[in-house]
Parts: sequence; C-alpha cells; structure tokens
Amino acid sequence: MEKVLTDFVKALRNSNVRVSPAETIDAVSVIDSVGYEDKELLKRTLSIVLSKTPDEKVKFNACFDDFFSDEIKQQVSVDMDQLSDIKDVDSDLAKKLLEGSQGELMLSIADAAEEAEIREIRYFTQRSVFTRRILEKMGVGKLEDELMQLGSSREDELPSDLEQELRNQLTNLRERVSDYVQQQFLLHGDVSGEQLREQIFKSMNMAQIDRSYLNEVHSLVRKMAKKLANLHSRRKKNFKKGKLDIRKTIRDNWVNQGILFNLSWAYKKVDRPKIYVICDVSGSVGAYARFMLMFLFSLTEVVSKLRAFVFSSNLGEVTNDFKDAQLDEAIEKALQKHGGGSTDYGQALTDFVSLCLDEIDKKTTVVILGDARNNFGPEKAHLMKSINERAKQVFWLNPEGKYRWDTGDSVMTTYSAYCTKVFQCGNIDQLERVISTLLKTAI
Amino acid sequence: MTDGPNKIIKNITKGFAKHGYICSEQIATAVYLASELEKPILIEGPPGVGKTELANTAALYFKKEMIRLQCYEGLDESKALYEWRYGKQLLYTQILKEQMQEVLEGAKGLKESLDRLMKFEDIFFSEDFLETRPLLEALTSEKGSVLLIDEVDKSDEEFEALLLEILSEFQISIPELGVRKADVKPLVVLTSNNSREIGDALKRRCLHLYIPFPDAKLERQIVQARVPDISESMQIQLVNFVQGIRELDLKKLPAISETIDWAKTVILLNSEELDAKLAEDTLNVLLKHQQDIEVVKKEIPALVSSATETSDGKSLN
Repeated sequence: MEKVLTDFVKALRNSNVRVSPAETIDAVSVIDSVGYEDKELLKRTLSIVLSKTPDEKVKFNACFDDFFSDEIKQQVSVDMDQLSDIKDVDSDLAKKLLEGSQGELMLSIADAAEEAEIREIRYFTQRSVFTRRILEKMGVGKLEDELMQLGSSREDELPSDLEQELRNQLTNLRERVSDYVQQQFLLHGDVSGEQLREQIFKSMNMAQIDRSYLNEVHSLVRKMAKKLANLHSRRKKNFKKGKLDIRKTIRDNWVNQGILFNLSWAYKKVDRPKIYVICDVSGSVGAYARFMLMFLFSLTEVVSKLRAFVFSSNLGEVTNDFKDAQLDEAIEKALQKHGGGSTDYGQALTDFVSLCLDEIDKKTTVVILGDARNNFGPEKAHLMKSINERAKQVFWLNPEGKYRWDTGDSVMTTYSAYCTKVFQCGNIDQLERVISTLLKTAI
Repeated sequence: MTDGPNKIIKNITKGFAKHGYICSEQIATAVYLASELEKPILIEGPPGVGKTELANTAALYFKKEMIRLQCYEGLDESKALYEWRYGKQLLYTQILKEQMQEVLEGAKGLKESLDRLMKFEDIFFSEDFLETRPLLEALTSEKGSVLLIDEVDKSDEEFEALLLEILSEFQISIPELGVRKADVKPLVVLTSNNSREIGDALKRRCLHLYIPFPDAKLERQIVQARVPDISESMQIQLVNFVQGIRELDLKKLPAISETIDWAKTVILLNSEELDAKLAEDTLNVLLKHQQDIEVVKKEIPALVSSATETSDGKSLN
C-alpha cells in the first residue's frame, strides 16, 4: 500500500505542493492509524500532514480528488441473465465488457496503457491522445464495428438489449480510461512543461513578451518576488550601538556579584531603507517599466518605503496609484498617463530634483530605469551629480544591450559617471538579479 | 487500539462541544493526530477564529495543565526556557565563603587547599537555582501539559531556531546541566497570524491546520454554544448578516469572536428582531475600522433584508 502513498506524494509534488521525505514518513505512520477505508478521513488527515500553507491546501484538495477518483462507478446495467444472445458477440473487448469483472477490466486498462507508453505523457494537451491510444490497444475499433453491424442489422427501430448494454459499457469504459490517463498525467506529467515555460519567460527579452501572456508572467514575477522577499525579510541584526542600558547592565551583571563587568547597550534600530524608482515609460522602454514596477510592488513586504515616478518628458509620481489599485490597472494607468511622447531626461531630472531632492538622504537608494536616449536634448548631468551626492546609492538599469550604449542619441556614459552601479536589464532573470542586489545593498 | 479513529474523532468533537468549543471535523482530526503522533500542531488562520481557544479547550479536554508562552519581538531563551536565580546564587556564595573557612582549616599549601576545594560538593549550577520558564516547565511537567506557543510569527528568527530542538525531540539542552528530556510529551500548539512567513524547518516538524472563517451552519452552532440566551430566529439572522459582510471587500473581516460579541450586545439591548437601525447602531462591535463601517453602512438595508429573508425560509422548513 505504500506504493499508493508515494505515488500520491509524487502527484502532489507535480502540482507544486512541497513535500519532504520526512513528511512522507509522517504520512505513512498516520495511515497506519487511520487506514485507507474512510476516504474523507484520509483526506482530512493527509491534508494536515502534507500541505502546510492555505495555498497548498487548495492544491492538495484538488490533487487528492483527482488521484483517488477511481471509485467503482455504479452502472445502469441490464440483468445479465436476460442477455441470452451473449455468445453472439465476436470481439474480445465486448466479451470482456459483458462478462469480465471490474478488476479484470482495470487490469487490461493498465496493460494497454503500458503498451501505449503512458509514462511518456508530459503535457496537459496529450491526455486525449493517450486516451484514444489506450482504447485502440484494447480493441475498441473492433467493438465499434460490431456495434455498427448490430445497428444496421436490426429491423425494428428500438436497439436490442445487447446493443444498449454494449453502448453503455463502452461509454463507461471511455470514462474510466480517461480517468486513468488523468491520474497518470498527475504522476508523470506537466512539471517539466511548466518549468520549461517559466525558463523561456525568464530569459526572453521583456519587450517581446506577448501581452496575452501577461497574466502568466505576472504570476511568475510574483513567485520570484516572494522568493526574494523571503530571502531578505530574514531581518539581519541591523542594530547600532546607542546609549548605555543601565537596567539591563545591572541585571546581567548579577552573575558577576553585581560588579558591572559586561556592559549592555540600548540598541537603536535602523530605519527601513527608502527606495525611489524613476522609470522611463516612453515608447521604447515602456514594456520594461511594466515589469520593473510589477516586481517592485510585489515586494512591499520588504521595501515599505517605495516611491515610484514615471516620465517620458514630464515626470509624475505614481506611488499612490499602485498602493490603491490592482497592479495591472495601475500599470496601464501609468503608461497611459505618462507614456508615449518623446523622452527628455533633462526635464525629468529637473522635475525629480525640484520634487524631492530634499527628501533624499543617506538611507535612500535611487533607481533609474531607462535607455538614456535623450533625443539630443540637454542632459543636465549636474542634476544627476547632486542626486548622487545626497543619496546612498544610485542604480541605473538599461534594458538595451551594452553594445548599443552611447550609439545614436544615447548618453549612457554621461549619466553613468554619476551612478554607483549600472546594470543591463533586458529579461526577467536579469531583473531578478538586479533587484536582489538592490535589496542586499539598500538594507 | 480499542476505538477506531473515526470514533475517537467524534468523541473529541463531543468533548470539545461540552467545553463550549464547536469544532469542524478538520479541527477534530488535527487534535486526534497531534495526540496520536505526539507532534506539534501549527494553526494558521485569520484573527478571531479560535486558534488560541482551541489550545485552551484541548487542555480542558485532556485534563492537562495549560502552559502559555506569548511570543513577541525580542523574546529570548532567558524568558522562554530558563534563567538562573542570580540573587539566590549570590547568597549561596556568601554562605559558601563561611563554610570554606572550615573546609580549608589546617590545609597546608596551595595544592592541598585546592584538592579539598575540588572535593567539596558544588551546587552553584544545579536544579535548585534554576528558574523554569514556560518551555522548560512544559517539558518537566509530570502529568503532561498543553503548551501553547501563541503568535510564533511575532518572534524573531532566532527564537524559531530555538524551538526546533524542543519540538522535534522534546528536549532542551542546558549547557551547565546537560540535556533535559520530557518524560511525558506535552501537546504543543503553535499559532500564527501570518505576519511573516514561518520558516520551512519549523513547518516540516509540525502538523498544519488552517482554520478559515466558519460556514453559516457551524457559526450558528458556535453562537448557540457561546451565547445560549439568544433566540433562534435572532441567532440565524445575525449569522446570516455576518456571513453577508464577509462577502464584502473589507480591511478586516469580522471573525467568530466578533459575531459572539455582537450576539451578546444584541441581548444586552433586548432586541428581538434584526433591523437596519439596530445593525447600524451596533456596527462598531463587528467592524474595527472606520472605512469598513462606512462601506458596510451603505449595504445594510440589502444585508438585513437578505438575512431576515433566508431566516424566514429556514424557520418554515
């Protein structure tokens, strides 16, 4: 019986529920005491042992229902004794359907599935193919031919009992095979497919990701952001020594007969960092800004003081839009309001400086996303210099490949002189790396 | 094993109900597994669905002592595990000084005095001077206990690591005394409001129970158990109303504890029937944010009418 459980655990892992070997062992010992008989009880029990977040519980329930669905279905069947013409059927499958027991039938499904190489099933879409293949291996073709004959040979309008029964059994068989395939798919399928998809999205240039995939990419970004947040929310002991804590010192030094030997300090907590993001949302870079903002605003757990500005020529703040509305809406709104138009970095910097240069201090990280293509306008690099002098660090993310920097109207070098670090940031993988660096250094 | 698991679970449900805690099958199963496997349960869920209450009731049901440890930022081992009684230890050294005179009397040379000193029994670090804190107390409790570690998510990462040894081995190592192992393993209940993600290592060691808001039927039973004075029609209306509110998009949804408070309020006010005015006047019992109250105020007529309608339907049946 342990095989059933390990298969189930495998199916769970395939549907993205993380189950450790230790938990599997727990599950085995749990089953020892509750048994397999009561399905509801088994479900409740395993849910407690194997799934450990509300999200996983939902997946667990779906997976469990799928996996243990092969209950023997009640059939509408004609009394066998009345089928005196039972010997008249020719095909093996028909005989098996009419005479064989449930167990035998299951066994022959499994055999046929083995022959059809069900283990190779990988993708959701292959299920119907495999169902058909298994049915064929079982000899459904012959049975269908026979049914046709029965149908055409009958004289009156009503189908005979035998024909009716065969048709019922066939429908039943189809359902059963498709259930079986579904179960096998849970065991063998999908994971590699999904991972492949994610891999492609991650390494694809962000501007080229089709809009129809946005939802999927969004959930991918959220997943990555969650991972990063988990990593960085392990709040390091970011304390700074402050005043002498007399009460604690006296208490701690009871051990030393009251001689103040070990001094204790009242620690001062360092504030959470401030991050200011300035995004170019003009035509060429708008797509990148979308993902950048998506990523950052999925990180609110870790970066609490985040302000976002977007510009193409004039600069505007969009922080509140993101806080109140849904992420997708907010991004659309920001792109619509400020996007398009020709880029003017000089103007944008002027706006930013007049808007919040005073608020930038030594805890602030300024992140600028843009291709630095300034349409040959005034660069106003001295503004970058003053930002750089006040801020803790200034990052510039450029979505263009490095070989294109400084070509045409790009003035990357002029600006990069005043940046702490410059990154190329064209796909989601790179974006993740940059944001990880950002979190590491900003905190 | 005399009883089947299903029977034991039913007994737990009944036993808990006797102490005023109405639990779903899922909860009863979790309690059964925790006592069967001797593993801690980690309970998550929105605030006010009875996570802490579950531990209290379990203590009553199993007739064990309840030991509670409230977690907060900065909780460390001297407050959770044990501490030395420094004051007593100081006094002890004072006594020792006087005793020493006698012990060392007549000793010749440094070596001999040192030998005698070594032979002298030393109890500076011993059980006598050990001040037990909740965790150690739960382990050393002779009759066994129910240990509630409340709101683990509020504590620091370091504290979580400290819990690992206790939760998997049911032992604590005290450097000066060695390993203390529990004779009777306590039933451990951890609760979390998910203000931060609990580490995987801790989760792996625990059974995991998620308590969601109850459905109407269960909530009615709970209100009935907690506020027995309430009339049946009123109780149905209240629960329907609250269930309606939970469908809305609010900052903080009302939990069971709020429903119970509301039921008590309604009894205090001697109201027989739920109407828009009563709902509006007492809304602040249910909702804790001004914004939420404003959102719900607009919906009150609709909520009240649907709540009373369905209750009429129910009572006809």
